[in-house]
Amino acid sequence: MASASAAVGNRSVALTWFLRVLVVGYLVMIVALPTGLVAQNTFKDGLGGLRTALSDPDVVHSLLLTVRVAVMAVAINLVFGVGMSLLLVRYEFPGKRALSALIDLPLAVSPIVVGLALVLVYNPRYGFFGQPLSDRGIDIVFATPGIVMATCFVALPLIVREIVPVLEEMGDDQEQAARSLGANSRQTFLRVTLPGIRWAIVYGVVLSLARSLGEFGAVKIVAGKSIGDKETATLLVQREYQNFHQDVAYSVSFLLVVAAVLCLVVVAILRPSTSHHATPKVKQ
Amino acid sequence: MSIEVKNLHKRFGDFVALDDVTVSLPTGQLTALLGPSGGGKSTLLRIIAGLDSADEGSVTIEGAEATHLPPQKRNVGFVFQHYAVFKHMTVAKNVAFGLEIRKRPKAEIAERVDELLKLVHLSQFAHRLPSQLSGGQRQRMALARALAVEPSVLLLDEPFGALDAKVRKELRDWLRRLHDEVHVTTVFVTHDQEEALEVADEIVVINEGRVEQVGTPDQLYDSPANPFVMGFLGEVTDLGGVALRPHDIEVSVEPGPDTSVSGTVTRLLRVGFEVRVTVTADDGSQVLVVLTRTHARALDLAEGTRVWLAPARGATTIVAGPGRAEPELTRA
Repeated sequence: MASASAAVGNRSVALTWFLRVLVVGYLVMIVALPTGLVAQNTFKDGLGGLRTALSDPDVVHSLLLTVRVAVMAVAINLVFGVGMSLLLVRYEFPGKRALSALIDLPLAVSPIVVGLALVLVYNPRYGFFGQPLSDRGIDIVFATPGIVMATCFVALPLIVREIVPVLEEMGDDQEQAARSLGANSRQTFLRVTLPGIRWAIVYGVVLSLARSLGEFGAVKIVAGKSIGDKETATLLVQREYQNFHQDVAYSVSFLLVVAAVLCLVVVAILRPSTSHHATPKVKQ
Repeated sequence: MSIEVKNLHKRFGDFVALDDVTVSLPTGQLTALLGPSGGGKSTLLRIIAGLDSADEGSVTIEGAEATHLPPQKRNVGFVFQHYAVFKHMTVAKNVAFGLEIRKRPKAEIAERVDELLKLVHLSQFAHRLPSQLSGGQRQRMALARALAVEPSVLLLDEPFGALDAKVRKELRDWLRRLHDEVHVTTVFVTHDQEEALEVADEIVVINEGRVEQVGTPDQLYDSPANPFVMGFLGEVTDLGGVALRPHDIEVSVEPGPDTSVSGTVTRLLRVGFEVRVTVTADDGSQVLVVLTRTHARALDLAEGTRVWLAPARGATTIVAGPGRAEPELTRA
C-alpha cells in the first residue's frame, strides 16, 4: 500500500477517491457481501444453526476428514514442493522447462478434469494402475488416498511457486560458502538453504492449506457417491444444500470461511516479517 | 609448494576458460592471480577450492591430491566477491559456522570467535545481523569466517571488487597486515594491477586461460615477459618501435645525441602532480609522455612546442609487437 500510494502521490485527489471507491465497491459486490451473507444466514437463529450442524455426526466426520486430508496433502506437497523447487532452481537438466510448466498445470486445469484423470488411472475396475492395486487390497479412488491425491494435485503449485523465486533470489553463494566451510549437503540444506526459504515455506503452506480445505471439484469426482464416510466438508455443504438443509449448509460454509480467513490472517501477519526479511537482500 | 596445479583444462561450452594451466603457489605467501575479466583466474581459484571441477588436470593442496575431493574436505577458506554471508545468522554465528560443523566444544568456539572478531575489528558487532553491516565490514566478517576453520589455504575471489575505492584501499592494506600476522597461504584474484602490485608477494598473470608470467611484483614490472604483461601492469606507449612506460621517456626541447624521435606537442593534460603530454611524432605516430608538473614547467611545454624524445636510462623496454593487452593505453 505504501509504495502504491507513493507512486500515485501526484495524481488528483478526485481520481484517487474515484479509484478507491471503484475498487472497494468491486470487492464488496463480489467478495465481501456474498461472504457476509453466508455469515448472516449462519447466525439467523443465533447459535442454533451451528449447534444443529455440529451435533450431526456426519458434519463432524466431514470436518475431521477435511482437516485430515488437508494436513496430509500439505505435508506431502511440502516435501515434494521443496524438493522440486531445489531441482528447478539449482540443477540444469533436459526437460526442465517442461517440468516447470507441468507444475503450473494444476492452476490451469479445472479440478473436475483432475478428478476424472485420477479416476481413469486408479479406478479399481478399468484403471491403469487401479486393478493391480485393488487386487492387493489397496483402494485409491473412492477412498481417502484418492481424496488426498486430488487435493495434492490442485495445491501443488502453491508451495513451489512461493519457494522458487526466493531460492532464485538467494543464489547459491551461501550454499557454496557453507560447503567451503566443511558442511556436507545435508548440513548445508538444514543450516543455510532451509532458513533462507523458511518464510516462503510458511507462506506456501498456509496458502495450500487454505486451498486444500476448500477443494471441491476434484474431490467430488474422486470421492464417488458414497455418503458420509468419504464426504469432505465441501461435499457435505453441497449435499445438505440440495436437500434443503440450508442451516447446516450455511453453518459448515461459515466454518470453511473462518478457516480460510484464519489462514489469510496468518499470512498477513507473516507478510511484514517476510518483507522485513527481504529488504536487506535487496540492499546487498 | 602449497598448491600445485598441473595441466588444468576447463571449458564452458565453446568457451575455453583454462587452457593447460600449470602453476605452483608457494606456502605462506600472499599470491595474486591477476588478469583481465574473463581470463580464467576466478575459474582457477574455484577449481582449487573444489567449487568447480576441471575437465582435465590435477590439483594438489599441501601435498595431498585434491582433484576429486568435494570442497568440504579440502580445508580451504574461501571468500566471495559478494561476501556470501549467511543472512539469517548473527555475525558471531556466521564466524562460528565452520567450527559448529566440526562439532568443536562450545567454549572453544566462543573463544575462537571472540579472537577472530577482534582480529577483524568487529567485536562490537558480534550480535548484529549481516544486513546491519557495511560492505567492508561484511567482507571482514566473511574473512574471519573463512579463517575460523584454520584452513591450509585461504582463497579470495575478487574480495574487494564490490567495495568503493576508499574502502578497497583500506581493506587491501589491512589484508596485507593480516597476512603478516596470520601467515596462512593466501591466493587472491584481482583484475586491479595496483592491488596486486601493492599487496602480493607473488603475482601470476593469467590471460585467455593461460599463465602469461609468474614472479614478484618487481620482476613483473621490471622485466615483463611479453607485451601483454607489460601492458597489463601499467601504461605503455610506443616510441620508435619500442614499447616502454610513458614516464620513462626523456623530453628535451632541442635535439640530443640519444634522440630517437622528434615531434610536436599536441595535447597537454594536467592530472594533479603529473602532466600527460601527447606528442605527435614526425612520422604521424602518437607518443604519450608523463612528466611531473615541475619538470613540464621547467621545459616550458605548451601545445605546439617542438620536442625530442629518448628512452630514459634504465627504462624497461620491450620490442613493440602484436597482442598488446590494452591498446587504448598507448593511444591515451
